Amino acid sequence: MATPRQVDVEITTACNLRCAYCSHFTSPGDVGEDLSLETWRDFFAELGRAAVMSVTLSGGEPFVRPDLLAIIEAVCANRLRFSILTNGTCITEEGAAHIAATGRCDSIQISIDGADPFTHDAFRGRGSFGLAVEGVRILREHGLPVTVRVTVHRRNVRSLPEIARFLLEDLGLPSFSTNSASHMGLCRKNAAMIQLTPEEHSEAMDILMDLAERYEGRIDAQAGPLADGRLWSEMERARLEGLDTLPGRGYLTGCGGPYQSLAVRADGAYVPCSQLGHLVLGYIGRDDLLTVWRTHPELQRLRRRVFIPLEGLAFCRGCPYVPYCTGNCPALAYNLTGETDQPSPDACLRLFLERGGRLPRARAGVGGH
Amino acid sequence: MDDVNERIPIANPAVVLREEFDDWAIVFDPDTGQAFGLNPIGVMVWKSLDGKGSVAAIARRIREEAEGVPEDVEEHIRTFMEAAVRLGLAGYEVS
Repeated sequence: MATPRQVDVEITTACNLRCAYCSHFTSPGDVGEDLSLETWRDFFAELGRAAVMSVTLSGGEPFVRPDLLAIIEAVCANRLRFSILTNGTCITEEGAAHIAATGRCDSIQISIDGADPFTHDAFRGRGSFGLAVEGVRILREHGLPVTVRVTVHRRNVRSLPEIARFLLEDLGLPSFSTNSASHMGLCRKNAAMIQLTPEEHSEAMDILMDLAERYEGRIDAQAGPLADGRLWSEMERARLEGLDTLPGRGYLTGCGGPYQSLAVRADGAYVPCSQLGHLVLGYIGRDDLLTVWRTHPELQRLRRRVFIPLEGLAFCRGCPYVPYCTGNCPALAYNLTGETDQPSPDACLRLFLERGGRLPRARAGVGGH
Repeated sequence: MDDVNERIPIANPAVVLREEFDDWAIVFDPDTGQAFGLNPIGVMVWKSLDGKGSVAAIARRIREEAEGVPEDVEEHIRTFMEAAVRLGLAGYEVS
């Protein structure tokens, strides 16, 4: 692409919560300083000139910025659409009305990890469940497209059926998505109490795949146990059927981000992705967006990642799943191995099985073990 | 002789043209979120939607710059313009 299709913008490094698995705090994106409204206005004008289509506003917590609505106005003034990632605890009627009036909001994603305060607040802080649910109510009342992300961890893995019922039946949301706490930010310090063991991960895959069937497409995932369950079932089926390969597999193809998006830290540093905050490509206001996008060697290198065959990597040697694997997320690979041009051990099926994990039960149409 | 009574619409200034390296492009309406792909000839027509020119002039330019242009290219241009207006991507100046 000649220009990024969308840009993730961390408009603040501040947050009113300290979730135990927050990927932001203690990461390279935790820069401790925010830019002025004026600086963001100039940047959104640059995005408009570059024909970028949308931004995702995140943080930190975007709603703690007192000038968030002015930031959104600057986004809209430059022919952009926007999404917001939020913990949902600071949403007001006035703010929701203002956002709805723009007509440009693609989604507001709120994190809800439980069907009750006990489960949700365990890692997000006391009182956060009630506020997040109220945030969902306010946004929906204003007709805004609310999505909910459930982060699966050790304390909620067995509550997933109740969470699905709460979100889809009690709150009546059209859908929600799941992931799991990854080895980034604060989660690295709290991994033992948060990250799923192979046994729990196996259980989570079965529970979520059952729920996804039961709720007929209303539960989705790009990462975490549900995504792993689907991908790994497909890989196992391909192996059992003796297929040579699957389309787009056998190389480090797990991330298409560098071809279509870019991210900006709260201090204005261009980075390939919010989760690769250490890879600074330049700074807004100092470096031209399109020059960074088209010529920066680190971005070029990340784009060439898809041409690296897994069979040439020491980590993958002898793995029967190599022809069917994507190597998964480069940011996770970096956090676990110190390199982006490696597969992510966290998403390695062979390693998962060696550590006692098991594939999901076979299901019609999705293969299995 | 160009038909001076045939009006050319004006591209909606709120609509974004995203040009790619291969001369293809996307027109994106941020108010609706809709996006449409344009081939290089579509991009030429889109850039001509200034409310001033004529279909014949656009067709002439296409014939100058492209090969294998069909005889009825003017009809194609009119269809393109009608679609752009219908989708809110272009409109006519109100006098």
